Amino acid sequence: MHQQLTSLSDKELISRTRKQKDREAEGVLMDRYSHLLVAITLPQLQKNPSLDPNIVFPTLLQQLSASLRTQSIYKANEWIMHMQRGYLNNQDKATPFYPSREARDLLHIENKVDKATTNAIDRQEIIVRLQQALQRLAPEEKKLLDEFYVEQKSFSELAAAKGWNRDKVRNQLKTAKTKLAKLFINQAYVK
Amino acid sequence: MLSNSDNNDKVIKIFSGIRCVSKDQLPRYLDGRLTDVEKHLVEQHLTDCDLCFEALQALEKEGSTEKYADLTSKLQRYIQQSIRPVSQEQKVAQYTRKERNKENLLVYFWVLAFGILGVSGVYVLKGHMRNNPTIPRLMVSAIPPAEAEKIPATATAVTSQPIVTPDHPSNIPSTPPAAASTPANNTAAPVAVDSARIKLLAAERAAKKKIQADSILKANQDAAEVRRQDSLKKLAEEKDKEQKEKEAAEAAANAAKEKEKEPEPAPKKEEVKKEEAPPVTNSIESLYKVALQYQQQGNLSEAMDRYKRIEANGSGKYVEMARYQLGICYRSKGQSARAKRMFKEVVKMDGSLKAAAQQALDTM
Repeated sequence: MHQQLTSLSDKELISRTRKQKDREAEGVLMDRYSHLLVAITLPQLQKNPSLDPNIVFPTLLQQLSASLRTQSIYKANEWIMHMQRGYLNNQDKATPFYPSREARDLLHIENKVDKATTNAIDRQEIIVRLQQALQRLAPEEKKLLDEFYVEQKSFSELAAAKGWNRDKVRNQLKTAKTKLAKLFINQAYVK
Repeated sequence: MLSNSDNNDKVIKIFSGIRCVSKDQLPRYLDGRLTDVEKHLVEQHLTDCDLCFEALQALEKEGSTEKYADLTSKLQRYIQQSIRPVSQEQKVAQYTRKERNKENLLVYFWVLAFGILGVSGVYVLKGHMRNNPTIPRLMVSAIPPAEAEKIPATATAVTSQPIVTPDHPSNIPSTPPAAASTPANNTAAPVAVDSARIKLLAAERAAKKKIQADSILKANQDAAEVRRQDSLKKLAEEKDKEQKEKEAAEAAANAAKEKEKEPEPAPKKEEVKKEEAPPVTNSIESLYKVALQYQQQGNLSEAMDRYKRIEANGSGKYVEMARYQLGICYRSKGQSARAKRMFKEVVKMDGSLKAAAQQALDTM
């Protein structure tokens, strides 16, 4: 059972947890993100010695478990990050999670692309529209995206070519992608 | 053109969804141990995912991979532990709930079964009590112990009397043992009501068989009774006459000696009177005993006839007893009003049977 659950997507695990009250699915989801949770919490734990990992992580898991049943979660990584930030900033109050507009746009396009993998016509339509959207982007951003996605250059290569550090390369890529997603969605509305 | 179309296709990768970096990939990416394809996929994901990028940054900055590995394994163990017991507990809880339900159902079943058994038992017992005739017990209780003891002896005395058995002396000795045995059985009746009832039925059957034979005996007995009473009266009259004749003769013959001989007849008169009283009481007593026998044999009408005669002719004690037995006979016949009247009369008489009569009245 556990083996079967690990191959399921986040979305399916969340729906299992909600509809069937499947504790195992919840556990698999938490297990999938546990190492990232530990990694992002480590700096806080080292900064603030009063935080006990034996208390912080179980409490965090409880809060995550409670919010899993009540809140609408589009992307699990974004949700976990939000919950962790909220817990460490204000331990007494659980801040509700609202997915950002950008995240929703991204998710929408990702779902479309995912569906189009088996349908050649849809896939071609998306490619055409993406190309159109790319044409409307700033040339630097278009170039950066081309280099990264089409030419498959790594962060370090791009950083070396541009003279930026890795973080800047990543952030530039992220903003360019967000803009592209916005253009893509707006295109759809115009159409 | 081909490469251009390939490049166009690669554009779609910009929005392909990629899962977060796994716990194997993260340290390998940090160490640079990933293949180019894998590395590119991770970096594609890192552009979108703040969580993974922040985790990467944190691990790079802090450099405490040992602590990270330790905490991660602990947290995963904690998660697995918190899942498993819950699922096992759920199974155990479900099983125990089922078992408890089964036990509860069994308990309800047995309680219901015992309840129904109890109610039906009481119902059957009530029905049995209603149908069970209480005559034998009451009859035994009605007869004073002294009297009950006397009955066998008196029964034999009745057989020995020549007046009662002039024609068929062979028939009578057969009845007294039965009569003597029934009171003995009846004393045991309160303990075993059924056995008493069976015996009573047997006695009734025996009585029916004997009715034909007894009818002749009854006729003879009646005749004997009448004859005996007549003979007693005649005897008394004859004695009176003889005395009168004697007196007359003596008065005539011994006129001179009258003063000396006069005290002699007086004692004789007294003797006659004394002789006269016992036969009457004896006859009533025997009548009562015969009636009692009839009653015990189940021939109530004959017994009642005798009792009425005793009531009409007899003296204090026997009248009371006869009335009491008449009451019992009426009651066993189902004529409760008459029975009550009889018992009330017995109570009014204020004799030895007053308590028994009062008890019989109370139970009616």
